[in-house]
Amino acid sequence: MATIDLSVVPVREANELIRKYGADGVDVEVLNPDARHHIGVGLTHPIKVTVRGSAGYFCAGLCDGPTFEVERNVGWGLADNMLNGTVIVNGNASAIAGVAIRGAEIIVRGNVGSRAGQVMKEGTLLAAGNANFMAGYMMYGGRLIILGDSGAQLGQDMTGGEIFVAGKINDLGTDAMVTDLPGNELDDIMAFLDKHEIAFNGTFQKVVNAGKKLKYDRSEPRVRVIPFFEASGDNDYWNAKVQEDIHIKAQIGRYRIRGYGTSRALPHLSDLAFRRDLSTIPADPDVVSKVNMKTEIGGRSGANPIKLSMPVMIAPMSYGALSKSAKLAMAIASRLSDISENTGEGGMSNEQREEASQLIYQCLAGRLGWNIHDMQRANGLEIYISQGAKPGLGGQLMAKKVTPEIAKIRGIPAGIDLRSPSRHPDVLGADDLVIKVEEFREATGYRTPVSVKLGAGRVRDDIKIAYKDGFDFVELDGMQGSTGAAGNEVLEYVGIPTLAAIQEAMDALKEVGGDKDMPIVLMGGIKDGADAAKAIALGAKAIAVGTSAIIAGGCIACLQCHVGQCVVGIATQDPEHEKRYNIQAEALNTHRYLESMRWQLAAIAHAHGYDDIHDMSRDDLVALTPEAAEITGLPYEPGYRDRDAGLRQAS
Amino acid sequence: MCGIAGILYKDTVAKADIGKALINMLDGCQHRGPDSTGFALYHDAVPGQYRLRFIVDEGEDVRAAIDKIKHKLAEFQAQVIDEEVIGAGFRLDIRFEGDLHKLAYEMEHAAKLSSIGESLDVIKDIGSAHDVDDVYRVAKFQGTHGIGHVRLATESDVAPEASHPFWATGFADIAIVHNGQITNYYKMRRRLEKRGYFFNTDNDSELIAVYLADKLKNGSSLKDALKNTIADMDGTFSFLVSTKDEIGYAKDRLAAKPMVKYEDDNIIAIASEEVSLNKLFPGRALNTSEPAPGTYETWQRSISA
Repeated sequence: MATIDLSVVPVREANELIRKYGADGVDVEVLNPDARHHIGVGLTHPIKVTVRGSAGYFCAGLCDGPTFEVERNVGWGLADNMLNGTVIVNGNASAIAGVAIRGAEIIVRGNVGSRAGQVMKEGTLLAAGNANFMAGYMMYGGRLIILGDSGAQLGQDMTGGEIFVAGKINDLGTDAMVTDLPGNELDDIMAFLDKHEIAFNGTFQKVVNAGKKLKYDRSEPRVRVIPFFEASGDNDYWNAKVQEDIHIKAQIGRYRIRGYGTSRALPHLSDLAFRRDLSTIPADPDVVSKVNMKTEIGGRSGANPIKLSMPVMIAPMSYGALSKSAKLAMAIASRLSDISENTGEGGMSNEQREEASQLIYQCLAGRLGWNIHDMQRANGLEIYISQGAKPGLGGQLMAKKVTPEIAKIRGIPAGIDLRSPSRHPDVLGADDLVIKVEEFREATGYRTPVSVKLGAGRVRDDIKIAYKDGFDFVELDGMQGSTGAAGNEVLEYVGIPTLAAIQEAMDALKEVGGDKDMPIVLMGGIKDGADAAKAIALGAKAIAVGTSAIIAGGCIACLQCHVGQCVVGIATQDPEHEKRYNIQAEALNTHRYLESMRWQLAAIAHAHGYDDIHDMSRDDLVALTPEAAEITGLPYEPGYRDRDAGLRQAS
Repeated sequence: MCGIAGILYKDTVAKADIGKALINMLDGCQHRGPDSTGFALYHDAVPGQYRLRFIVDEGEDVRAAIDKIKHKLAEFQAQVIDEEVIGAGFRLDIRFEGDLHKLAYEMEHAAKLSSIGESLDVIKDIGSAHDVDDVYRVAKFQGTHGIGHVRLATESDVAPEASHPFWATGFADIAIVHNGQITNYYKMRRRLEKRGYFFNTDNDSELIAVYLADKLKNGSSLKDALKNTIADMDGTFSFLVSTKDEIGYAKDRLAAKPMVKYEDDNIIAIASEEVSLNKLFPGRALNTSEPAPGTYETWQRSISA
């Protein structure tokens, strides 16, 4: 057995050693842990690690296979997301013990803090003492055993799994109920207790999901499709879409859900113009070779940056919201254009990993599909806080799309209307977030950039926090961005326009001196190279395209993404519908669209006399409307509108 | 968004290394807040003798600010014993026997007052625990108890006056440190402002200090005031409060912000994370516990012993 003394070896170095010993099959003893965070994070070998004292946050986090024994207490997030293995804590565990575990046996001999087993999917979490507030909060599966008493709101919003309490149940949370305990399940628990040598003589109450909130009680009626271009007319009042909304609400008695983003006319990048009159510049067929477009993102903390052939990414969209075929086409297109693809919520597939040369892996609050192995094969990690189309809310995936395969990848029950949590279990403030970021860095040996996706809300505050928390880059998403499903009013009225988001972000970064330091990737309604060039001129390091990429790949903008019956096979999990989607053809369409963007970016930079796209600056822009001028602080020059109108006609 | 720490030596010995202990504890959780650090330190009082701490801005004419402060003190017939300009602050030791509430009110309106106390000394500035110690010699402080704070500024400014601890305005010797976010801040602030209270900053933690001051003024015990806080404040919070001879905590009902405590015959120590407690006892596995959601408690020095 090897020994590591944390009073002399820093945790980062210790974790590298532990992983090395793991690969060699040598057990490890950790001395003087003194409640330090991240002990043993990212270990994927079946060795035993003995911690002689107390451990801090995320002890045994993001592991697969090892056995941990901690002599005394642990902090927040014990065994976070553990896949397999055993963890024994002889003292108390703080909040969210066993958070998001997907297997493994976690035994705490003392008490567990608040929200034990939050969003757990599989495996067993046992507290020999008492459990605090909201044990089993939003759990999707697995078994939570409490030998002592449980605190308030036990099993709050659990959708699956089982909770067994031997002591007193303070009260039950929403959608949890007490049910009969079958003899064989009691036998299983007693066998589990025997195996871990825990003496117990008593019986249990069993708590499960009550099934009242798993699905909306009335589904929306099928409607005639009103496509986006019709829905987003000039008239905000009694247009066809507004009427349709009212009709549907009259039937279902709640908010309606739809796909896509806002249909309102908002200040946007198209309200800016380039100062230079591009129509006077002669066309240059070779312009792409004359402008440097290579963009590296994510090296701020010394990680391997994501390398893009142009400052463009594919925006995060999930396998779940989109079909596997559509995700594959995006991955192929991203490889052909040598840019990056993003998993979105709900995990990474092998096919997607193989096709994409640069893949960002998104971590959401529900930890759906999240695991250490995919983290380690990603080129970038992204902590999703929120989305431009619905800031502050979690994702929605309606039952039709929660197929057994999707459910398995995500670790949730099949066939539920999945409403993903909007808050991370372990990120309740900027102070927790910094410890979370560090956990991801430990798990990937500090090699992989860690980014944050922010839906534009309180951009100025959020960007400063992101900067202070050390993120390598930010994906900033304005309200013109789309989504697979959200409440209509949220889509129309909640977010902040993309134009305002980038301006506030750059102002905030300048205030903290980070504008050269932490790149912003802007997304939300960016449709072509001109939009992209304007975003870059305003300060974005790159942009990401979601909606326009899937439109290039066959989407007809019918706004019915949430229904699951997508007629072109993009936003569906129904094999009959998916058959209509030609992966190779749509990948090539998307690739050609991306290449048009490359050409436009190069042409615009070249026309301004630059040989690098990142030479574009605010000085190259004017505002065409008073609103855009107010938002950006650019000079208001309405005269440029006539010039641009002429340009559009000419082209 | 922050880290907090507090320690109280239960016995009568007034010469514990409070400064060093808090520097160590805050160093342990500095990752939770790199922007600024602050200490509320207590020593045995000399009756009638007060320490005042002001923030005097770099940009402003420091001399003029100090003259204004001294002029006001003279109006109140306070006798200045000692004074020092240090870091971003100005320290004054005075002898005073009039109406302290009135003096505090006037001083608050004359300058950025960060504390008044017979026992209390609030030291706070931007930078880490060690940075602040380098300027203000916190490690030299010997006393009975204290609380401290590391801050990651989220919504209000990074500035010495927006740093914690906050002094319970008008009440000598009461200070708070807070981790979390009070979401009904504006509503509560407006109520207190209507009753004549003054706010130096837009920091939601200052609200807790003023709120407690108001409760105490109306005759509440500290314990009852803490109990009321849990009912009246919305949001996520864990905070520590200290007076001349006690420290206490209150924790929100959602238990969203961490807090761990360690107690033995000699001390009670509370911190955001166990790693801070372990800084006091390197190499030892401690018997700690977590206060439950929606609870509060206070500990007193055994002065009678």
